[in-house]
Amino acid sequence: MDARRVDAVFDALGDPSRRTLVREIAARGDATATELAAGLPVTRQAVAKQLVALADAGLLRATRSGRETRYAVTPEPLGDAVGWMVEVGARWDDRLAKLGRSLRGRASR
Amino acid sequence: MEVEREVVFPASPEEVWEALTEPERLEEWFANDVELDPREGGEGTFRWDDGEERHATVREAVPPHRIVLDWDDEGTTAIELEEVEDGTRVHVVETAPGFATALELHAMAAWTPVA
Repeated sequence: MDARRVDAVFDALGDPSRRTLVREIAARGDATATELAAGLPVTRQAVAKQLVALADAGLLRATRSGRETRYAVTPEPLGDAVGWMVEVGARWDDRLAKLGRSLRGRASR
Repeated sequence: MEVEREVVFPASPEEVWEALTEPERLEEWFANDVELDPREGGEGTFRWDDGEERHATVREAVPPHRIVLDWDDEGTTAIELEEVEDGTRVHVVETAPGFATALELHAMAAWTPVA
């Protein structure tokens, strides 16, 4: 797994407004900054900046459409990020179960 | 972003702290072979039977409350202990590898125009 790409995905999704944009675009199939800003209490410029960051993290695919850029969600990086969380989470579940056994073993001694 | 886990063990914070910081105790649950100096700035080497070896530096150590390890290869592990009615609540936070690098990449990305 490309750790740097996973970081970029986490960073991009760490911001609630960016998560909202990803959800909105996923719901619509694709969208432009202007379309997304119309339904949000933010400027088109602010939305456009967030979209660039999301596209850079590989979460969105940008396609030029006349004067505007249309964005669609790319699911693959989410798979990497979710994969990291599942893998690391499972490792901790295993470790904490063992730690619990170790502590109980002491208590009964 | 990070992975978080929280568990309550029927033991005192001092007992849990020993299990988190004494090498022979860490060998019961964390790795197969452990060397650790659990003080701020101390070094740790963790080896597993499958050949994996990881090295860390202790960023914070406040017995019996909080220990933070910075891994040389990737990320940070922070463990906090809190005394509760049934024993000790253990809160683990593992931060995504190379997070700072990602933030730098993003700072640069903000200046890159859309192609």
